[in-house]
Amino acid sequence: MRTFLLKRLPSALLVLLLASFLVFLILRLIPGDPATSLAGPDAGPAAVSAIRAQLGLDRPLFGQYLHWLGQLLTGDLGPSYAIGGQVADLITDGLGATAQLTAAALLLVVLIALPLGVLGATARRRPVGAAVRAFTTAVLAVPPFVTGVLLVLLFAVTLGLLPAGGHESLLDAPDLALQYLLLPAVCLALPSAAVLARYLTDGIERALAEDYVRTATAVGVSRRRIVWRHALPNALPSAVTVLGLQIGHLVAGAVLVERIFAWPGLGQLVEQGVLRRDYPVVQDLLLLIVAVYVTVQLLTDLVYAWLDPRIRWE
Amino acid sequence: MTALAAPARALPARARNRYLAGLLTGRGLTGLALVGTVALAGLLAPLLTGQDPDAQGPLALAGPSAAHPFGTDDLGRDLFSRVLHGITTDLALILSAVPVGALAGCSLALLAAGHRWADTAVQRVFDLVLAFPGLILALAVTAVLGPGRWPVFIVIALAEIPLFGRQLRSGILVQREREYALAARVGGASQRRVLLRHVLPNAVDPLIVQAAVALSVGVFIEGAMSFLGLGVRPPEPTLGSILSQSVGYLATRPTFAAAPLAATTALVLGFTLIAEALNRGIRR
Repeated sequence: MRTFLLKRLPSALLVLLLASFLVFLILRLIPGDPATSLAGPDAGPAAVSAIRAQLGLDRPLFGQYLHWLGQLLTGDLGPSYAIGGQVADLITDGLGATAQLTAAALLLVVLIALPLGVLGATARRRPVGAAVRAFTTAVLAVPPFVTGVLLVLLFAVTLGLLPAGGHESLLDAPDLALQYLLLPAVCLALPSAAVLARYLTDGIERALAEDYVRTATAVGVSRRRIVWRHALPNALPSAVTVLGLQIGHLVAGAVLVERIFAWPGLGQLVEQGVLRRDYPVVQDLLLLIVAVYVTVQLLTDLVYAWLDPRIRWE
Repeated sequence: MTALAAPARALPARARNRYLAGLLTGRGLTGLALVGTVALAGLLAPLLTGQDPDAQGPLALAGPSAAHPFGTDDLGRDLFSRVLHGITTDLALILSAVPVGALAGCSLALLAAGHRWADTAVQRVFDLVLAFPGLILALAVTAVLGPGRWPVFIVIALAEIPLFGRQLRSGILVQREREYALAARVGGASQRRVLLRHVLPNAVDPLIVQAAVALSVGVFIEGAMSFLGLGVRPPEPTLGSILSQSVGYLATRPTFAAAPLAATTALVLGFTLIAEALNRGIRR
């Protein structure tokens, strides 16, 4: 496992480095000088150049890039330009809630996709199978913001079962926190669960057509045992890859879903950062999403190798 | 030469019939009806409503009435007029951005088809754009340009490039090895001619399906950007912006969300059904 990590880690780090350079360059394309807009319309040239020096904008571009890399490595991301406060504080404030939502959704993705995937393969010619297919098609066709509004209208407004939006700390009031968490997590999980279920169905169907399944049937192994003990494990490795890809989309989707359910995550910061042209904030947010994505890919490779004994750690 | 070119020229007529056969199924007709109704309502907006979509009135958050068939929004603006004009904005954005992205993606795939290194390079770029969530694209574009109509256009177009590019590339790879392409090459046709006159017309089918999918992706992107506050600027209405505005009033005024919700759902479901119908048509 260590050799496997040693082989994958450098390329992951290289992707991150390239991404950081790209993000840095893209944000230097922003027209206008942040120092001028920060100083306000009445400021003289002396005040503007003082701000520029304070923000480090008078340094050459590559120097600024190296300075940013240094900031990232130390974790001290410096002050935000327009929103106020330290960038690191702003991001950690929202990150907890977004991570909580993403983790809950990830759990739901697995819980929803496993039975749906198995049903899709085993009940293929029955109405249940058709219903599963119709469900996954509909969930994938409709954007999450539509699903979210429908979920609120049904479960919060009409049935009054769950709150329409908001957030409560898991430590202070666990049962209330779960009520707030459920709708946004389901909304976020559904599209990824549908994708995963389809891959699982496909994988199980392919496994069921293999010779060893015929052999197992011939020696009298029950259908249920064949599906869960033989076909499903063979469909899992590729499903894990799909799940890994979906985690990146879950994080991005969380930022969107938060806006529907008044969830206090990073979504607010994304909007404020762009609207107020606060580019340290946007720059660090962009790199954060890329970093999450790259880390998840690395972990996915590890889990894949662990699940599939045909892949060697070396 | 003419004898060799003939099959490629004869194909489009047959292909058109297959598209039509696909569309004239229950699935296809439902999709067409959904998209058609919404699009027609948007196109006829100036005739159907005389109200200015941006004019604020004294009645905020009113329910449906004779004067305001869908009620009013939180600023007292007529929702019927706003939804109709929102459809127009959405469709104008999507119908202009998707072709630009499709053209760019297909051009890249064609340009890369002849050279191994260019092919690898273009593939890497496509993979990269596809692998990362669209949020990164939306954030980067709006960070540079600020939110607004053009950034939405650009994000939709950029997001479609790899979808069309990859689709066409895989089509070219399959068709290029078929015997008719080989025959054209043996007959002395240049690489460019084989690609454009023989291979391309036969690789178009999946692109037509992709186009229908791409339109629903466009609705998706416009709405998501509006929800994130990075979309078309207020007061100009879009389906996404009206819907995101209504979210704050779901408990008190559920009718606020009804019309933008219905229009958005009809559009995306319609495009999806059309894509599936076309897909079945060309597979027959």
